[in-house]
Amino acid sequence: MRAIHRILPVMLAAAAWGGENDSFLLRNATVHPVSGPAIQNASVLVIDGRIAEVGPKVAPRGRIRVIDARGLHVYPGLIDSGSPVGLAEIASVRETVDTGEIGDFNPQLRALIAVNPSSEHIPVVRANGITTVLVTPGTTGGTRGASTAGLIAGQASLMHLDGWTWEEMEIRRSAAMQMTWPVIQTGRGGPPDLESLLPGLAARRVTFAEARRNQQLQVQKIQDFFDAARRYQKAKAAGEAIAPDLRYEAMIPVLEGKLPLMIMAAREREIREALDFAAREQVKIVLAGVRRPGKTIDDIAKRNIPVVLGTPFVTPLEEDDPYDEPFTLAAQLHKAGVKFCFASFNVQFARNLPYEAAQAAAFGLPYDEALKSVTLNAAEIWGVAGDYGSIDKGKYADLIVTDGDPLEIRTQVKMMFIKGVPVDLESRHTRLYKRYMARP
Amino acid sequence: MRKNFLAAITAALMAVFITWLPAPAESVSWTAIRGARIVPVNGPVIEKGTVLIRNGVIAAVGPQVDVPASAWVIDGNGLTVYPGLIDALSTWGLPQAAQAPAQTAGRGAQQPPQLPQQQQPQQPQAQQPQARSRGPQDRPGTFTWVKAADQVQPSDSRLASARNAGFTSAVTFPRQGIVAGHGAIINLGGKTAGEMVVLPEAGLYLALRPSGYTGFPSTPMGIMAYFRQLWLDADHYRQALALYAADPVNIPRPAHDRALEGLMGVKRVLLPAPDPIQMERMVKLAADLKTPAVLYGVVRGYEMAERLRATGTPVILNVRWPAREPGADPEQEESYRELRIRDLAPTSPAALSAAGVKWAVSSDGLETPRAVLRALKQSIDRGLRREDALRALTLSAAEIYGVADRLGSIQPGKAANLVVATGDLFDDSTRVRMVFIDGVRYLPEPELPQPPAGASGRGPSSERGEDQ
Repeated sequence: MRAIHRILPVMLAAAAWGGENDSFLLRNATVHPVSGPAIQNASVLVIDGRIAEVGPKVAPRGRIRVIDARGLHVYPGLIDSGSPVGLAEIASVRETVDTGEIGDFNPQLRALIAVNPSSEHIPVVRANGITTVLVTPGTTGGTRGASTAGLIAGQASLMHLDGWTWEEMEIRRSAAMQMTWPVIQTGRGGPPDLESLLPGLAARRVTFAEARRNQQLQVQKIQDFFDAARRYQKAKAAGEAIAPDLRYEAMIPVLEGKLPLMIMAAREREIREALDFAAREQVKIVLAGVRRPGKTIDDIAKRNIPVVLGTPFVTPLEEDDPYDEPFTLAAQLHKAGVKFCFASFNVQFARNLPYEAAQAAAFGLPYDEALKSVTLNAAEIWGVAGDYGSIDKGKYADLIVTDGDPLEIRTQVKMMFIKGVPVDLESRHTRLYKRYMARP
Repeated sequence: MRKNFLAAITAALMAVFITWLPAPAESVSWTAIRGARIVPVNGPVIEKGTVLIRNGVIAAVGPQVDVPASAWVIDGNGLTVYPGLIDALSTWGLPQAAQAPAQTAGRGAQQPPQLPQQQQPQQPQAQQPQARSRGPQDRPGTFTWVKAADQVQPSDSRLASARNAGFTSAVTFPRQGIVAGHGAIINLGGKTAGEMVVLPEAGLYLALRPSGYTGFPSTPMGIMAYFRQLWLDADHYRQALALYAADPVNIPRPAHDRALEGLMGVKRVLLPAPDPIQMERMVKLAADLKTPAVLYGVVRGYEMAERLRATGTPVILNVRWPAREPGADPEQEESYRELRIRDLAPTSPAALSAAGVKWAVSSDGLETPRAVLRALKQSIDRGLRREDALRALTLSAAEIYGVADRLGSIQPGKAANLVVATGDLFDDSTRVRMVFIDGVRYLPEPELPQPPAGASGRGPSSERGEDQ
């Protein structure tokens, strides 16, 4: 922590000195490109925000800022594949929460334009090395499906965690269409309630048959919506005069297979139904919030469907599941050949993203895969691997400079660059730290 | 002469009197069941004997009994006579709508829209969710003035099916709110409600789940604190009344409180205790209330036997053994804990008997009265002795409610509540030939179709219509 304070003035001074703010040479560091093995004592040359050269011997070009990073490590910026950061400030103050619009179908909503660039959470999330977030318009809490989130919540956007306006933060305004697969909810779960066994005391519960019917009605709604969107698409393609509808308009990229549907589905049953639906509708999907894929794993792998995993720091879904069930899921998917990335699905705890991958690495996931799951894999899943996700020539310089492995909890992020521009690592946490350290 | 005349008149009058007075005595009705196997419960089985009933009371039992010539004799050859069975926690005989809110209302006001309104409730105030209560002073969910004895209906269609299964008595409780009201021990036959009631005050039924009202209390700790306050208030009320009675001039008149009036002279409270933790709480609560407790709704009795014996707390066992709900989610994984409870629950009776805990049986939640016997048969298959099962259904229930002098065994002086069956009660092939209630014989009759139990209509539906 103290190290930050030593390095911060240096960085700010450097920024003031440099002519071009997004060009520099970083020297004497251990570079972890993610796409390949680590390079000792290497340099990264950044010109106009893009990586111009990586290697042991790189000469500075012209009058360029040189940063000595002896003993430090360079990694690509981490990517959180699902978080409402910027859309929600204080959960208990409704006015500061912009997620979860009312209504079942809101594909026309775009998360990015509602993001508050001045959110106090953004610097906090950055502090652990996260440079990029897929900002999700719907609520993502809960593993049993978000009944209040609507079925199609809107467009998730990929954004940088720096910028004065949302336009400056934008990477891809529409990166995925967030959808929740309906869950059969019987209100069950948790340990058996003995009192509910007692007649006369039993609170009324929804029977399985009723719950299944409710769920089927919701699935039918989805089907109807897709059918209507397809009719709109065809009518538009045929040049027929139709009343413009933003909702169907927003569905066209999905129907064309250009925009992936990010379907929240935790358990085997929902996943199976979502897979069948995707096959039937010929749409591209990404499964998200997967918890208990069961026998569907092979199918997911065979059909090359990417998966977004939520935090493993939860209790197992079923009472008798092994304690490490949430920890080993990533390794299990990797073994089956499924491509996956991690998401926090959280605002302030998005900063724990690297430790989600770390927990999976501690429970059987190869380390390199763990690192990829918060960098390159995420960039590939969201279709931006040409510009982001690794330290390779030609990509944007989203870099973090650390004093160690970013998946390690004791590691400090010393510097951060987004598109080659140094980013302030001060946050509410460091401000509070300073304030209380200075207390007499 | 005149004297003689007066004497003659007096004598004549006396004669008239004498002939008039003993008239009822001459219509003594005798009934004898002869040559039957008799299981008196309180003593050894009589392989071939006679039960003699005089005016609804057992007059004599034994291998050799002198039967008066006027007795109506029933040939008991090949039949077995048991004391009438007692359902120790029931709603039989009460209007069924009265129990619907308690069954359906969960936390808050989750009344299902399809709640059947079969009958107009007798206690309208018991049905309507009350205004939001803010504290103990609002007496939330409290119905201490409700007495099952006042609500008994001889027309209840469930009585016939209960008799067909061998039940002759039940301890029946109102169900609403958290202090539901006073139970009554009733016989399951009689022309009028008054005839049916054996004892109007069997105990006060308490629940730990708020229903039918909103507001305080909504948690177990709130409810238990409320019970304590209620009892303290009753104590204070009693003292205030006594002071006022002694000095009505100087002492202000205490306000009448029907909730507290209903707490005067409560003999016992019925408290729910499905598991060992709840049992500990309830035993302590009863000690705080200085009122003897009977625990009901016991599910994990197999773990509670030792502690129950140590505290001397009797138990009403719920014999609707936990089972997988029919139509449950086929993909729902059942936890080991759940399966374990399901497996062990039927061993509770044997465990309680082995430990020497006094226990009786409730038909609550079972679709038919006959299912009680079948449930106990499951326990017999898991190690319960038949005589212990029978005792729980008869004498133990009578002892728990303090009516062992009248009910529960075949003994001279007790009410002639008897079951005459073709064999052992717990055997599937056994049929009940007749039952006697206060000496009146009831023959099995075709049952009326039952309305769905409670309002939810859920539970082991396969058992419906079993006895029809």
